Amino acid sequence: MMTLIGISPQLLFGQLLIGLINGVFYAMMSLGVAIIFGMLRIGNFVHGAQYMLGAFGAWYLLNLPELFPGLGLPSLNYWWALVLVPFAVGLIGAVMERLFIRKVYELEHAYGLLLTVGLAMLIEGLFNVRYGAAGQQYDIPASLTGGVNLGFMFMPYYRVWVIGAGILVCLATWYSIERTRLGAYLRAATENPDLVRAFGINVPRMLMLTYAFGVGLAGLAGVMAAPIYQVSPQMGQTIIITIFAVVVIGGMGSIAGAIFTGLMLGMVEGLTKVFWPQASTTVIFVIMVLVLVFRPAGLFGKETVAAHAADMSTARPHSILENGRLWMLVIAVGGTILPFFIYPVFGMKILCLALFACAYNLIFGYVGLLAFGHAAFYGSSAYVAAFTAASWGFPPELAILSGVAMATLLGMIFGWLAIRRQGLYFAMITLALAQLVYFYAIQSSWTHGEDGIQSVPRGYLFGFINLNEPLNMYFFVLAIFLFGFGAIYRIVRSPFGQVLKSIRENEPRAISLGYSTDRFKLIAFTLSAMLAGLAGGTKAIVFQIASLADLYFMTSADALLMTLIGGVGTLLGPIVGAIIVVTIQTELATLGSWVVVVQGAAFVLCVLFLRKGVVGTLEDWLAARAERERLAAGGDAPVIETNSH
Amino acid sequence: MSAATLLSVRGLRGWYGESQALHDMAFDIGRGEVVTLLGRNGAGKSTTLRAIMGLLRKRSGEVSFQGENLIARMPEHIARRGIAYCPEERGIFSSLTVEENLLLPPVIAQGGMALEDIYELFPNIAERRKSQGTKLSGGEQQMLAIGRILRTGATLLLLDEPTEGLAPVIVQQIGVVIRKLKERGFTLLLVEQNVRFAARLADRHYVVEHGKVIDRLEAADVAGGLERIQNYLKV
Repeated sequence: MMTLIGISPQLLFGQLLIGLINGVFYAMMSLGVAIIFGMLRIGNFVHGAQYMLGAFGAWYLLNLPELFPGLGLPSLNYWWALVLVPFAVGLIGAVMERLFIRKVYELEHAYGLLLTVGLAMLIEGLFNVRYGAAGQQYDIPASLTGGVNLGFMFMPYYRVWVIGAGILVCLATWYSIERTRLGAYLRAATENPDLVRAFGINVPRMLMLTYAFGVGLAGLAGVMAAPIYQVSPQMGQTIIITIFAVVVIGGMGSIAGAIFTGLMLGMVEGLTKVFWPQASTTVIFVIMVLVLVFRPAGLFGKETVAAHAADMSTARPHSILENGRLWMLVIAVGGTILPFFIYPVFGMKILCLALFACAYNLIFGYVGLLAFGHAAFYGSSAYVAAFTAASWGFPPELAILSGVAMATLLGMIFGWLAIRRQGLYFAMITLALAQLVYFYAIQSSWTHGEDGIQSVPRGYLFGFINLNEPLNMYFFVLAIFLFGFGAIYRIVRSPFGQVLKSIRENEPRAISLGYSTDRFKLIAFTLSAMLAGLAGGTKAIVFQIASLADLYFMTSADALLMTLIGGVGTLLGPIVGAIIVVTIQTELATLGSWVVVVQGAAFVLCVLFLRKGVVGTLEDWLAARAERERLAAGGDAPVIETNSH
Repeated sequence: MSAATLLSVRGLRGWYGESQALHDMAFDIGRGEVVTLLGRNGAGKSTTLRAIMGLLRKRSGEVSFQGENLIARMPEHIARRGIAYCPEERGIFSSLTVEENLLLPPVIAQGGMALEDIYELFPNIAERRKSQGTKLSGGEQQMLAIGRILRTGATLLLLDEPTEGLAPVIVQQIGVVIRKLKERGFTLLLVEQNVRFAARLADRHYVVEHGKVIDRLEAADVAGGLERIQNYLKV
C-alpha cells in the first residue's frame, strides 16, 4: 500500500473521516449558537448541556421499559429518538426562554452569559449527580450497522448517515434563513426588532421559537452523537467552549460561514491528529488566535457592533462601604483575630479566593470587560509557583513571584488578543484562550497531567520564617491579601483608575477625549492577571498543590460568581462573595457533586433576583436610610441620585 | 367626535426614562384625511408617532383608533388593527433585498395595494428589486420605506419626516405619491418640518411644542397663516 510522507492512507482518511464527523457536530452546534446569538444577543452557554440532553433523551427512549418498569412502555429506537427528542429538547428550550432568558434581554449582555452558565451548571450538575462520570452505551441502530470497504479505508454506514444527514440539516437551516419569508422576518428582527414588531409580527414569540429551534438543533446533534460518543453528563461541557471558538473564527452575520467554519475546523482537527497528535485538542484555539490577529471580525464576519463596555457596577462612590482606608484597617484587625476563632486553612482559602475575586473585579467591575478566562492566570501562576518551589527549590516568596511573572506575561498576551473584540466575544475569546492553557497543562510533562504538582514544600519565608507553622503561613497570606487589596484600591482611585471608569461608563466619549482606551484596557487587564496570579501562586504554596482544577473554566466561573454575589464593581463585594462561596463549597463538600448544582442555582438566582449583589444592595439600603434620616431632620428636598443609565 | 373620525388622541403622555416627552397631546384625524404634525426639533412629533405605534414603552392617555383604545397594546397588535409606520430613519433592512423589504410586512387586511401597483408608483425601485436594501440612494430608500407599508391593507399610515434630507425633485415626487395615496383612500399622519411641502398636501395641521399641541390650522387657513406657522418653527 502506498504511503504519503510516511503516513498510511488508512490513518489519513480515517482521521479525516473522524474530523468530518466532528465537523458536522461543530457545524450543527455553532449554527444554533450563531442563530441564537444573532437574534437574541445571548451567548448560549447552556448549548452544550442541551446537546447532552439530546443524547440522554435518545438513551431514555431506548431504555423506557427499564426506566419505568411498571408502565409497560415500549423501547423507542433511534429513529423515534431522531424525531421526538429534538422536539422535546426544543420544548425545554422554549420553557427556559420563557422562564429565564426572556428576563435578561433588556439587561447587559453579561447577564445573559451568566444566566446560561448557571443553567448549564445546574443541568449538567444534576445529570452528574444521577449518572456520575461514567458514560452510557448507546448502540448504532441495527439498520446502519456495518459498512463498506472503499479500498483505501473502511467506511461505517452510520458515519455516512451522520455526515449526510448533518450536512443536509445545516443546508436546510441555511435555506430557510436566507431564502424564505420566515427567514426574512428573522433577519429583519435581528437588525431592528422594534420596527418588525411595528409591522405586526409577534417578535417576542419569534424569539422564543428561534431559541427553541437553535436548542432543538443541539438536541438533534445530541441524538446523532449518542451512538458515536459516550452518552455522559460531561459530553457538552468541553464541546461548548470549542463551539464558542468556532463562532469567533467564523464571525457573526453569516449562516453559511458558521456551517463552513464548523466543517472545516473538524477536518483541520482530524488532520492535526495525523501529523501532530498532541496539538489536536488545541489547534482550533490556535486558529482562533491567528484569526483574531489577522482578521478580528472572523473569517465571514461583518463587524457591526460598536465599541461598548458593560457597566454593571453597583457601587455608590460615597458609601462608607467604599472607604478603602477604613476597610483595610478593619480587614487587618479582623484578619489578625480570625485564626483564633476559625481554622487558619479555612481563612487562607477565603483570602486566596477573595484576592482572586478582587483581581477579577478590577477588570470586570471597574473596566466593564466580561473576562471569562481568569483561571488561566490563577492556574498558570499556581503551576509555576508549585514547580519552581518543588523542582528548583525556590523559596516561597520567589516561587510566588515566578508565578506572578507567568500570569502577567499571559495576561499581556491574552489581553492584547482579546481587546480586539467587545462584549460577548471578549468573554468567548478569554474563555477559549484559557482552555488553550488548560489543554497544554493536561498534555505537558512538567505539569504531571491529571495528578498536578503535589507535595509542594511551603519552605522558609525569607530563609527564616517557617511556613509549615500554620499561623506563620496564615499571616503571610493575610499580608499578601492586604497588599493586593491596597494595590487595587490605589489603582481604582488613581487618575488611571478614573480613566478606566470613564471607559466603563462611555467608551466612545473617553476616546473622543483623547484617551487611547485600548491601551488602558490592556494595562488594566494585565494588572488584573498579575493579581490573579498572586492569588494563584499563594494558593499553590498554602495548599501545596497545583492541579488542573485551578485552570478549569469552573475556576473562572467561580471568580465571576464571587464578584456577582458580592456586588460587581464594589470594593468589598468580591470579599463578601468569596466568604459566601467558600462557605457554601465547604459546607456542601460532603454532598460531593451537588456543589455544582448549588453553584449553578446561585448563578441563576443572582442574575434574576440579586443583580446588585450583597454589598451593592447594602449600599443602596444605607443610602436610602441616610436620605430618610436627612429628610426627617428637616433637610432640603431630596437630591436624587440614580444609578440607572 | 364625528362619525368619520379614524384616530383620536387624548391626554397622551410619554416618557423616555424619567424625562417626560409628551404632555397631554390631543388631536383628531378623520377618515381619508392628510394631517401633519409640525414643530421644531425635539418638540415631540416623532415621539407621538412612536407612542401611537406602541414603540414608546412608557406612555399613558388615550389613543382611540376606530373607537378602540390602543394605549395598552403591544406594537404587533396595534399594527394588526390597521396602522402602519414608516420611521424617520426609514428602517430599510440591509440583510434583505429590496423585494424582501417590500414583502416583509404581513398583509393584515384586504384592500392593500398589489406589488405591481407599488412598483408602478415607484418605478425606480422596481428596477432594483434584487439589490440589497441599503444599497439604494436616500430617496429610493424613502420610497421603499413608504412602498413597504402600502401592501398590508393598513388604513392609517404614519410617515415620519418623509422628505428629510432629500433633493427637491425627490421631495416633489414624494408629494405626488402622497396625493395619490390620499386619492386611493389612505389616511395619513405626517410629521414634517418642511412647511411648504406640508402646506400643499394636508387637510389640517397641528403645531406641536414641548410635547403638546399648541395650535391648529385648517387647510383653508394656511395661505394666510403661513407666517404664523413660520413663527412657531423659527429657531
